[in-house]
Amino acid sequence: MSETLLLQAQRVSKRYGATIALQEASFGLRKGEVHALLGANGSGKSTLAKVVAGVVAPDGGEIWLGGQAVRFRNPLEARAAGIAVVYQELSLVEDLSVQDNLWLGHEPPARFGRVDARAARARTEALLGLFEDVAGPRFAPETLAGELPPDERQLVEILKAVSLEPRVLVLDEATASLDGRQVERLFGLVGEWKARGWGIVIVTHRMEEIFRVADRATVLRNGQVVGEVRIGETSREELIGLISGEASRALHSAEARASAPARRTSPLLSLRVRRGRKLRGLELEVYPGEILGLGGLHGQGQSELLLSLFGALPGQDLSLRLEGQPRAFRHPSEAMRAGLAYVPGDRNREGLLAARSILENFLLPSWKSYHRGPLLDLGQARRAALEVGEKLKLKFGALDDRVTSLSGGNAQKVVLGKWLLRSPRVLLLDDPTKGIDVGAKAEFYQLLAELRAQGLGVVFYSSDDDELLSLCDRVLVLLEGRITAELSHAELTRDRLIRASLGVKEVVSGEP
Amino acid sequence: MTRPPNPLPTLLRTPPMIAVGLAVLLLLLGELVRPGFADYGQVTNILRIAAFLGIVAIGQTLVILSGGEGIDLSVGAVVTLGAIIIYRFTGGSDALLLPALLIALGVGFLIGLVNGVGIAWVKIPPLVMTLGMMGVVKGLILVYTGGRPQGATPPVMKSIISDPWVLGIPGDVFIWVILGVGVTLLLQRTAYGKALYAIGSNRTTARLSGVRVERMLILTYALSGMFSALGGFVLLGYLQNVFINLGDPYTLPTIAAVVVGGTALAGGMGGYAGTMAGALVLTLVSSLLITLGLPEFGRQITYGLILLVLLAVYGRERRLRG
Repeated sequence: MSETLLLQAQRVSKRYGATIALQEASFGLRKGEVHALLGANGSGKSTLAKVVAGVVAPDGGEIWLGGQAVRFRNPLEARAAGIAVVYQELSLVEDLSVQDNLWLGHEPPARFGRVDARAARARTEALLGLFEDVAGPRFAPETLAGELPPDERQLVEILKAVSLEPRVLVLDEATASLDGRQVERLFGLVGEWKARGWGIVIVTHRMEEIFRVADRATVLRNGQVVGEVRIGETSREELIGLISGEASRALHSAEARASAPARRTSPLLSLRVRRGRKLRGLELEVYPGEILGLGGLHGQGQSELLLSLFGALPGQDLSLRLEGQPRAFRHPSEAMRAGLAYVPGDRNREGLLAARSILENFLLPSWKSYHRGPLLDLGQARRAALEVGEKLKLKFGALDDRVTSLSGGNAQKVVLGKWLLRSPRVLLLDDPTKGIDVGAKAEFYQLLAELRAQGLGVVFYSSDDDELLSLCDRVLVLLEGRITAELSHAELTRDRLIRASLGVKEVVSGEP
Repeated sequence: MTRPPNPLPTLLRTPPMIAVGLAVLLLLLGELVRPGFADYGQVTNILRIAAFLGIVAIGQTLVILSGGEGIDLSVGAVVTLGAIIIYRFTGGSDALLLPALLIALGVGFLIGLVNGVGIAWVKIPPLVMTLGMMGVVKGLILVYTGGRPQGATPPVMKSIISDPWVLGIPGDVFIWVILGVGVTLLLQRTAYGKALYAIGSNRTTARLSGVRVERMLILTYALSGMFSALGGFVLLGYLQNVFINLGDPYTLPTIAAVVVGGTALAGGMGGYAGTMAGALVLTLVSSLLITLGLPEFGRQITYGLILLVLLAVYGRERRLRG
C-alpha cells in the first residue's frame, strides 16, 4: 500500500498557542493523482498544505516522501525534494520581468557557469506558451510582473512552480483569480502533469473544480480529517455535508430565486454608458427586488461598470438615473448618500482598514450620522455595529480588536456590513465570495435573499458561474466592455453563459 | 500566534505608556546622577519646555497620521511667522492681542492650506512640498521684517503664558493640557478624526467608503499650519521677544516626538497622547544630557542613539502584535 504513495502525512499535529490547527491529520497522495484538500476556513486544510510544503513545521507526526521519512526545516528544502507550491497570495517581484521572476531562486540552464540567455528565453517562451492563448498580449517574458493583471500574475506563479519540474505540485487556492478559460486550460495541463506521474494537491473552495479535476479528496473539519472520498463515488451534497458537519443542506437550493420574480415596475437604477474607461456603449436597468448578475470572463469591464455606478470613475461619458431622476455622482460619497453601496473585489486593498478596529471598519461610511453636537456618540455607534455583527453572525472577539484578527469570511462580512448600517437601496457587489469558505458563502446567499426580499436592487458580479446561475434573476454577460447577452429564466443556463462569455454564437446544429 | 507570556498588561506595552514610563525613568536617573534634577521647580520647568514642543507637534501628529508619507517640514518657519505677526501687529498693545492672534492663526491656516493643495491636488510629495514651503515662509519673514523684527510683546501674554496659574505651574503647561484633551477628542470622538485614521490606514478603502480624501488632506495640512502659528504665540509669550529663526529648532524634534510617542510614520495608527509623552521624553533627555555636562557633540550622538533604540523597540512590539 504505502509504496504506491508518493507523499504521505501521518498523524500530523500543529497548534498555535491555544488553537489546535491540526490534530493527528493523515493524508496520502498517490503518483499521478489529483488530490483535493477540502474544508471550511480554519479547518486546517491550509495548515496541512503548508506542513507538506515545509512552510510550517508540525509539532507531531511524520511526513513521508517516496517511502522515506522527511523533515523539512524550510520551504527551500521541500522544494529541493521536489515539492512546489502555488499560493493565492502573489509572491512575484513587481519590478522584475516575467522571465526573471520565473527563474528567481533556481537559475535557468547554465553554460560555463553563466546563464545561457538564449536557452533561458526559449524555455521561458515554452512555459508561457502553455497559457498564451488564454492571456493578454502583454503576457511575455520581458513584461514587468507588476504590469500584468492579477490573473496573469497568478499564471506566472503557476509556471514558476511548474518550471521546477516537481514531483508534487500543491495548488493552494491558485484558481481564485483566474477566469473560466484559464481554469479550463490549467486543468487540461493538470491532466498532462498527472500522466507524467506528478502528484497534485489542490486546495480550493470551488466545488465545481473538484468534480472536474480531482480524483480523491480529503476533507478536514476543526483540524481533523473527517473523510477521504473518491470523487467518482461521491456527490456534491455529500462533500458539503462532510465539510460543514451539518446534515447536507442544499447550498445552491436557489432559495434566493424561489420568491416571485422581480416585478417589472419602474427601474430603480438605470445606466447608459456611451464611452467609458473600459466600457463601450452599454445600457442596463436594475429593478427593485432584483439580483442582476454580471457575467463573463475576468476583466471584461464588470468591475469598471460597478465603479462607474458608484461614482468612483468620474470623467466618463455616461448618464445615470436613480428612480427616474438623472444623477451624476462625481465621488463615492455622493453615490453613498443617494443610497448606493459597493463591496469591492479586493477585500484587503479596497475594502478594509487593516490597521484599525472592527468598529471603525464597520462605521467608516456612517460616522457623520453619529455626531451628537461636536462629539460622536460612541455608545450608539457600538450598539449599531453589534447589531449588524449579530445579523451577519460575525465571529469576533471584541469590537476594538483589529479587523485583521478576523478570518477571510468574517472580514468580508465587515466589508458588507458597513453598508448595511446605512440601509442602502442599491447594492453593488464585485465578486464578494471570492476566497471565503462554504459556510460563510451559504450565510451570504441567505442574506442576499433577505435584502432582495426587502426590495433592494443588487448588481452582482461573480467569477463563479454557479452563483450567477443559482442566485440571479437576470445575468448580463460582458465581453470587452460590451454586453453580449442578457439571460434570464429558461435562457439562464451554464451553456449559454459560457458561450456568451466567449462571444460564441448559439450552436447551429441544435437549431431547426 | 505563539507569544511568550508577558508580565506587563497590554495597556502598559503601548508606545505612549512606554514613553511615559521612560520619562519617569529618566527623571529618576537624573535625580540619581544629579540630586535636585527632579525638584518641583525643575520638573515644572521641564514641563514648560516640553509644552512648546508638544504644541508645535500637534500639527505634525495630524499630518503623520494622515499617511501617504505625510510630514510637515514647514512647522518651524510658521512658528516664527506666527510669533512675528503678533509681535509686530500688537506692537505691545493688549487690546490688539486677540485680533493679532486670529490673524496669525489665519495666516498659518492659509500656509498649511497651500501645502495641502500642493500635496492633495498637484500630487507633490509632502516632504518636497513642505520643504519648499519652509523656504517660502522664511523668505516672507525676511520681506515682512527686513531681517530685524520691530514690535513688542503685549504684557498680558506674560500673565497668560509664563506666569504660574496655580501651584507654581505656568500657564503654557495648562494650555498644553487643554489642547491635549481637545486634540485627543478631535481624533477619537469626531468624524474628522475617524476619517483621518482611515485615510492614514488605506486611502482606497477610505475613498470607496465615501471619505473625501483630498479634502481631508488639505484640511489636515491647514490645521497643521494653524497649530504651528499657535505654537508661535505660546513661544512668544515665554520669550517676550522674537528673532527670525525662532521656530527652526522645533521642526525635526516635532517629528521625533510624534514617532517616540508611537505614531506610525506610515500613518493610520497612533495619537496625540503619545506625542505628548514623546515631547516629555525628548525634553528630559536633552535636560539630562545638559545636566551631565556632556559636550555638544556627545549630546547630539546620545540623543540620536536614544531615538534609534526607541524606534527599534517599537518596531519589535508591532511585529509581535501584528
